[in-house]
Amino acid sequence: MEAIKNAFDFSDFPRNDLFVALLVALFLLFFPFFSKSTFAMATVIQFLMFSLYGMGWNTIGGYGGQVDLGKAQYVGIGAYTTAVMLIRWDIPFWFSMPIGMFFAVCWSFIIGYPLFRLKGHYFAIATIATSLVLKDIFEVWDLVGASRGLEISPIKYIPPDFLRLIFNADIYYYYFILFFFFIGILYVNWFRQSRLGFQLRSIKDNEDVARSLGINVHWAKVKTYAIATAFVSFVGSFHACYIKNLEPEDTMSLDISILIALMAMLGGAGSLWGPIIGAAVLIPLKTYLKEWLGAMGGLLGIDLIIYAGIIMLVSAVEPKGIWGIVEKIRRRKRA
Amino acid sequence: MAFLELNNVTKSFGGLVANDDISFSMEKGDLIGLIGPNGAGKTTLFNCISGLYPVTSGRILFDGRDITSLKAYEIARLGLARTFQVYVASGDLSVEENVMVGCFMRTRSTSKARKRAHEILEDLNLKNISESMVSELTVAAQKRVTMATALGSDPKLLLLDEVAAGLNPNENEEIMGTIRHIHDDLGVTVMLIEHVMELVMKISDRVIVLDSGKKIAEGNPQNVANDPQVIKAYLGERYVKEHEGDN
Repeated sequence: MEAIKNAFDFSDFPRNDLFVALLVALFLLFFPFFSKSTFAMATVIQFLMFSLYGMGWNTIGGYGGQVDLGKAQYVGIGAYTTAVMLIRWDIPFWFSMPIGMFFAVCWSFIIGYPLFRLKGHYFAIATIATSLVLKDIFEVWDLVGASRGLEISPIKYIPPDFLRLIFNADIYYYYFILFFFFIGILYVNWFRQSRLGFQLRSIKDNEDVARSLGINVHWAKVKTYAIATAFVSFVGSFHACYIKNLEPEDTMSLDISILIALMAMLGGAGSLWGPIIGAAVLIPLKTYLKEWLGAMGGLLGIDLIIYAGIIMLVSAVEPKGIWGIVEKIRRRKRA
Repeated sequence: MAFLELNNVTKSFGGLVANDDISFSMEKGDLIGLIGPNGAGKTTLFNCISGLYPVTSGRILFDGRDITSLKAYEIARLGLARTFQVYVASGDLSVEENVMVGCFMRTRSTSKARKRAHEILEDLNLKNISESMVSELTVAAQKRVTMATALGSDPKLLLLDEVAAGLNPNENEEIMGTIRHIHDDLGVTVMLIEHVMELVMKISDRVIVLDSGKKIAEGNPQNVANDPQVIKAYLGERYVKEHEGDN
């Protein structure tokens, strides 16, 4: 009961924040009614998906300070579990999604347990490596379509199919992911006030101190990594039904991993709103860059240069991201 | 059986022996000072007791249990808390949140942890800064916050590592009052490292002196202060020779 109460307890935020949050929530709720552009709709769906990825990343990467650059592997596990089960055995989303989550969490234990012996950059590099290895395996594994990928053919089903999450209009996907976007915020809001949340913040600060306060540091990290993984795998399953076309090169690429981490860091790692702010900046940037620059063949890849520039800027100027700047200004006003 | 008992504890880093065959014991309710010049191995000994370092040889017993090979967090859960010398308190968390991390050792509930943290902050006269970020506080206040955090875990034995280092005389008095309060009123057994001799001498029932990793003296503060070996350790051989026959 207390957990539910805490999930809805935003009382430690200033009223202005909550007012802005309410406006944004209302905007998102009614967005489909005043925008008829499918491109804008697709962009906002991407924004919601990446916000959820970022919220997951934020638990271990933000509150726990363990920079993880391998989240794409869990996107892949979630997406492929759902797609393979649907295509091969006609198992609907609502069954395959938890199974995908289960696989992803198991995999996160297998790699998290040894990897959390590493610290800082070494951990980050190791997560990149495992993610790339898993991608390479998927590229040669026939069950999951190898490098040809998988395609969910919508003709086989009669949309709207709520059980399989096959729709012919984006608006269904929109409200589905929006609903879970709100659930995600409530979950992270609970998480940051929970014992585990406090323990992680203590670990981020100083592991020896955390240990001396009775915290099993390694286990707390592994547990939180699994929570982050469950988030990402869930959105991965959704991605499969929404995009309907999976290729390891797209779904599990290093770009995805970096984008997830980058959004949370740009917005403000270790804060509730950070990943959402980051996604709100980067996702439109990403899609529009792709539209404009992608057409000019020679400039392909310039988006990566921009991301790299942002990473350097954030780490040099304000490691706590956009939210860090907001808080700094506030503190200065108070003082 | 003693409350805390060290039997021939040795800790070496490669060829360097930081703690050499140290044995002592303390009873419930003691307030013991651990002193010694820089590099004597005081903090290393704390790290061994609290489980952050594995000991090279020897045994450590706490409250009737052999804790020699337990992990740091397991030892903490048995009721052995400590503060750190260099680390002060989390810069990212407010004072109240810091103390709550300690309280979470005994409860899963956020509201209970917050309530307990309030009680402790009230008790240590830190209530007025409970909303501040730790990085905004003075060193003296930060040190009291680390003590409050350790108290949050409801310890039976509290190891304090140089809580008075770098403080001015007024702040020293204040810290001493806090230590006394924790020991006398809250009934926590305390062991403190200090290299400000004066403070230890005033406050401790018993003093243990380390020098170059070895225990060179143990006893009540007056006797220890007059022990030639201790004077030598602190002030050097020449000082002792020059002042021989002074008293």
